[in-house]
Amino acid sequence: MKYLFCNLEKCLGCKSCEIACALEHSRSKDLFQAVEEKPSPRYRLKVEYGKERAFPLACRHCDEPACVVACMSGCLSKDSKTGAVVQDEERCVGCWMCLMVCPYGAVNPDGERKLPLRCDRCREKEEPACVVACPTGALVFMEPEEFKKTVTRNSQPVTKKTS
Amino acid sequence: MNYLIIGNSAAGISGAEAIRKVDKTGKITMVSAEGYPPYSRCLLSYYLAGDIEEKKLLFRPEDFYEKNKIEVLLGKKVEKIEPEKKKVILAGKEEIAYDKLLIATGASPKLLNIKGEDRKGVFGLRTVEDVQNILQRLDKVKVAAVLGGGLIGLKAAYGLRKRGLRVKVIIKSNRVLSQMLDERAAAIFRKRIEENGIEVMTGLAAEEILADDGSVKGLKLDNGASVDCQLVVIGKGVTPNIDLVKGTAIKVSRGISVDEKQGTNISDIYAAGDVAETVDIVSGRTTINALWPCAVEQGRIAGYNMALRKSGEKAGEEHKYAGSIGMNSIEFFDLPVISIGITRPGEKGYEEVIRDIPEKGFYRKIVLRDNRIVGAILLGRINPAGVLLSLIRDKVDVSEIKDEIMEETFNYSRVVHLMKEEKISETDRLFNQMVG
Ligand SMILES: Cc1cc2nc3c(=O)[nH]c(=O)nc-3n(C[C@H](O)[C@H](O)[C@H](O)COP(=O)(O)OP(=O)(O)OC[C@H]3O[C@@H](n4cnc5c(N)ncnc54)[C@H](O)[C@@H]3O)c2cc1C
Repeated sequence: MKYLFCNLEKCLGCKSCEIACALEHSRSKDLFQAVEEKPSPRYRLKVEYGKERAFPLACRHCDEPACVVACMSGCLSKDSKTGAVVQDEERCVGCWMCLMVCPYGAVNPDGERKLPLRCDRCREKEEPACVVACPTGALVFMEPEEFKKTVTRNSQPVTKKTS
Repeated sequence: MNYLIIGNSAAGISGAEAIRKVDKTGKITMVSAEGYPPYSRCLLSYYLAGDIEEKKLLFRPEDFYEKNKIEVLLGKKVEKIEPEKKKVILAGKEEIAYDKLLIATGASPKLLNIKGEDRKGVFGLRTVEDVQNILQRLDKVKVAAVLGGGLIGLKAAYGLRKRGLRVKVIIKSNRVLSQMLDERAAAIFRKRIEENGIEVMTGLAAEEILADDGSVKGLKLDNGASVDCQLVVIGKGVTPNIDLVKGTAIKVSRGISVDEKQGTNISDIYAAGDVAETVDIVSGRTTINALWPCAVEQGRIAGYNMALRKSGEKAGEEHKYAGSIGMNSIEFFDLPVISIGITRPGEKGYEEVIRDIPEKGFYRKIVLRDNRIVGAILLGRINPAGVLLSLIRDKVDVSEIKDEIMEETFNYSRVVHLMKEEKISETDRLFNQMVG
């Protein structure tokens, strides 16, 4: 299964991904119209910050997702074919139980719509919008084995980096 | 194999799903006292409020039983279990035999044991029937009283308020959500619900429910005052449904005692959900954390272990429950709050770190013991709750990041280097770039 990975060494924290994500999930999909939309278009992937560098964070579509277990409306499920965690937004009541149990804090609450937002891998698209928008090629949509080959062997856990 | 599940809610349904994952052909029967397809109790207050329609209460599609080849008996109550004969007795004396049994009977609202509790217009908030009955009565009601200021009490109050009633919440302790929140967070929360028209009366208890012609007309309080109301909702916590195991050899403490495989002391009998007593991860003691996620997880573990075959046959993997944890999330009138673990330590040996920014509606507190987080309250900005939950679960030493946790922008990338090696999956290693 493909995942949304980020080569942290290449990420500059420019947030192009956030904008592309919000735009992709807007109604108009047009930047100038999207800013006027109500409810405002929101991103599902967030560029978080470690002490020293940016850390784009999105739903990791876990093998055993805690959010699906915690979901009390039945709106979350793990798609057995694609492996993605899918959300039926119509059924969601905005109880934030999924947010409470996500070990990565990868659920973004949309307070306006009372909706927990999570990466949906841009559904049917071959490449998620954030990957397309990333100017440094840091964000990629790949199989783990494939991604493993692209990262340097001496990368460090994100908060330990001091340079 | 012949599986029987008593209960058709969070624990029962996830138990059935787990069994079906491992055993594609065994016979699964589910019995439920309620004559309703699988619905989520947690959504009842949203239904009461009119925020969702009744059909949205269902947390599984209508063809759930058919798809999973489950035989279901709705509206049938199990009166007694006979472990020696491996069968259960239904009301009306019908019997069902089993090879493996899952008890997932959940809990019922606690009663107050005060005069007048049996009057018309007095309700609990536990079943879809409760809500239907409340809704039917609404046109006769101007003022509603809610007894209890915990999660259920406040959810009831919210629902009734949204229906346009005057609502008074009567609370014995000195604050709302006293099990979840500390004084400060409770005060912020109380202010918000009062601003939205819910009256909160603390330090008071109802002594008697007054009635006129059999129907509620008011309350007598323990300070001598009386309150006029035409509807009463009792939200005083729940008690496990264990009547059906009374007089059997199945071990019961407060709820049914289970081991880490969700098995009871009697082989082939399992229990899960609000009826089961499990180990609390934070306190280390056995308790009932009567919560939806706990019920689902326990049901799943029970189901997997029930479907596990003896060695030699094709076996699934043995599953163990890591323990439950008290936590909850609630949002009223645009103010979300999440509470996890111990939030009001009564004893010595705990440290509290607090950040309170009233103008931003931000309040965050962590409670630590030996530099490990044992509890947290997040009000306003709730985003990193799950990160804190995993720090609590894994008992991670956070001495070097205590201040960072209090920052509004605190996030997962700040804790990666503290996580225990064995808790990080291969894929997570790649995500976090912990290669080499
Ligand atoms: C209004 C409300 C709001 C809630 N909000 C939250 C929340 O925000 N977060 C959270 O985590 N939890 C919440 N909860 C708690 C949550 O609903 C429970 O923890 C959960 O439903 C427990 O599931 P269970 O399967 O163990 O039992 P239950 O849901 O109690 O179901 C028990 C099942 O057993 C059946 N049964 C019982 N006795 C018998 C018998 N003798 N014979 C046959 N069948 C029987 C019943 O018909 C039912 O199908 C809320 C509960 C309520 C009522």
